[in-house]
Amino acid sequence: MILPTFYHRAFYDLRQDLCAQLITTMVVSLSILIFAFFTLLYFNLQHFVERFGTELGLTIFLTEDTPKDRILSLYQELTELPGVEKVTYISSKEAFGRLENFLKDEKEVLEGVDPEFLPPSFEIQINRAVFQLERIKQLAGEIDKWPEVSKVQFGQEWIDRLYVFSSLARIIVAIAGLLLLFTAAFVVTNTIKLTVYARQEELEIMRLVGATNIFIQGPFLVEAFLQGLLGSSLALGAVFACYRFLQGLEAKSELLRGVNICFIPWHYTVVIIASSVLLCVLGSALAMRRFLRL
Amino acid sequence: MISLESSIIRFKDVSKKYSQDNIVFSGIDLEIEKGEFVFLTGPSGIGKSTMLRILFCAERPTSGEIWVDGVALSSLSNSQVPYLRRKIGVIFQDFKLLSNHTVFDNVALSLEVIGLGKKQAEKRVMQVLEGVGLTGKASRYPLQLSGGEQQRVAIARAVVNRPPIILADEPTGNLDLQRTEEAMMLMEELNARGATIIFATHDERLFEDTHRRVLRLLNGKIEIQ
Ligand SMILES: Nc1ncnc2c1ncn2[C@@H]1O[C@H](COP(=O)(O)OP(=O)(O)OP(=O)(O)O)[C@@H](O)[C@H]1O
Ligand SMILES: [Mg+2]
Repeated sequence: MILPTFYHRAFYDLRQDLCAQLITTMVVSLSILIFAFFTLLYFNLQHFVERFGTELGLTIFLTEDTPKDRILSLYQELTELPGVEKVTYISSKEAFGRLENFLKDEKEVLEGVDPEFLPPSFEIQINRAVFQLERIKQLAGEIDKWPEVSKVQFGQEWIDRLYVFSSLARIIVAIAGLLLLFTAAFVVTNTIKLTVYARQEELEIMRLVGATNIFIQGPFLVEAFLQGLLGSSLALGAVFACYRFLQGLEAKSELLRGVNICFIPWHYTVVIIASSVLLCVLGSALAMRRFLRL
Repeated sequence: MISLESSIIRFKDVSKKYSQDNIVFSGIDLEIEKGEFVFLTGPSGIGKSTMLRILFCAERPTSGEIWVDGVALSSLSNSQVPYLRRKIGVIFQDFKLLSNHTVFDNVALSLEVIGLGKKQAEKRVMQVLEGVGLTGKASRYPLQLSGGEQQRVAIARAVVNRPPIILADEPTGNLDLQRTEEAMMLMEELNARGATIIFATHDERLFEDTHRRVLRLLNGKIEIQ
């Protein structure tokens, strides 16, 4: 019953000083925007590392004495593993051919070497959607236990190095994001404080003619709620537009192809919006407290 | 102690000091009957407004106890104060109008806070505005009015919710002779309908031939005439 009155009065007040409200919303929006960009950066970094890791795939080296008839059944078993997208068999001869190709002009060094000296192997491509790096490590460990398998390789070193680099980068981004979050909280609550202070007289007069604190605060809190909602939605909208733009660039440019840019996961966007709303409402409530004592 | 039942306002040994060398009054004992109309007078800066402010809890006394309508003010929590204030219409010496709201909205505020329906509120506001001669200026803003007109808006807001107690702090300070007469008549009328009124003024003419009690503040004490 009382909520419609709050909305009515909140909108009435909104019309009263639209300018101040717009500025507050802009400040909220910009603060969240900067923070959201860092979040986008963070998730893309994480996404890139995960995907890069999975794209390396697995190479499975077989023992030299693996009977030829086992190969087909091994192939079958590997194909049936969850998350495996494609399995390619590379015989000793093929591996030798690749080596020759690789050496090109210097392939004389291979002269007189038995073309069967390299072990046969399988190359496995992982289904990107299913796999995470942790799962790949686990999978590699499992396959390694098979008797016919001599070694499983998945660019461990590479990935480890990438991980160290990326976790460092992620820590930096996270710290910067956190600092930005504090700055945003500070700026937003202070902007809201200013709008509340500007209406201090109004608050006091309402209190003097017998308005309860809930009655006085209601419209302000509705206002703050709307500012938080609108401000953060605008910011995320802008980040989304930017993301779509980069996606467009990615499709056109050779250099960016394969970066596979991603957006902030949707539940994080919900968290950002909710925190922004909470921040505005709390800031407003705290700023008003001192005028509602007597 | 029979008086407790018929007195709507009671001061017992009330003192107010802002600091050690800024003592406004001390040891005030006072009883005001239900339906009484009393004048509160004394030179400027003597503490008339302070006394009224204590009554509607805008200020707390330094010591002593005050009962309003049987309720001890010291027992009121912050969240109960609004309900006390709805029983008390205050005409502020400095009006305290909302400058970004129209005359109509300013007066309607008193009804809005008690949750009166829009239709009913509108009727009452227009009625009261007519009573103070401001019918044609309902949609103006306070700063578009003269000082006397603003004072009448303040009067209208204080009385629109028909409070049983009215505290008038120099309500005629900015009015000419005719408007003063009209305001006094409005007060008399409200009093005749049962409202208890404390009328603070330093204008001796307003009560020179009255039969009503006059409370005179002097040197931190109160004299009753
Ligand atoms: N917030 C305050 N802090 C300190 N002193 C105050 C405060 N409010 C009022 N006073 C002092 O209390 C005394 C009484 O003030 P008050 O406003 O009650 O006077 P008054 O009788 O209403 O005067 P007037 O007729 O001019 O309206 C004054 O001396 C004033 O300086
Ligand atoms: Mg005064």
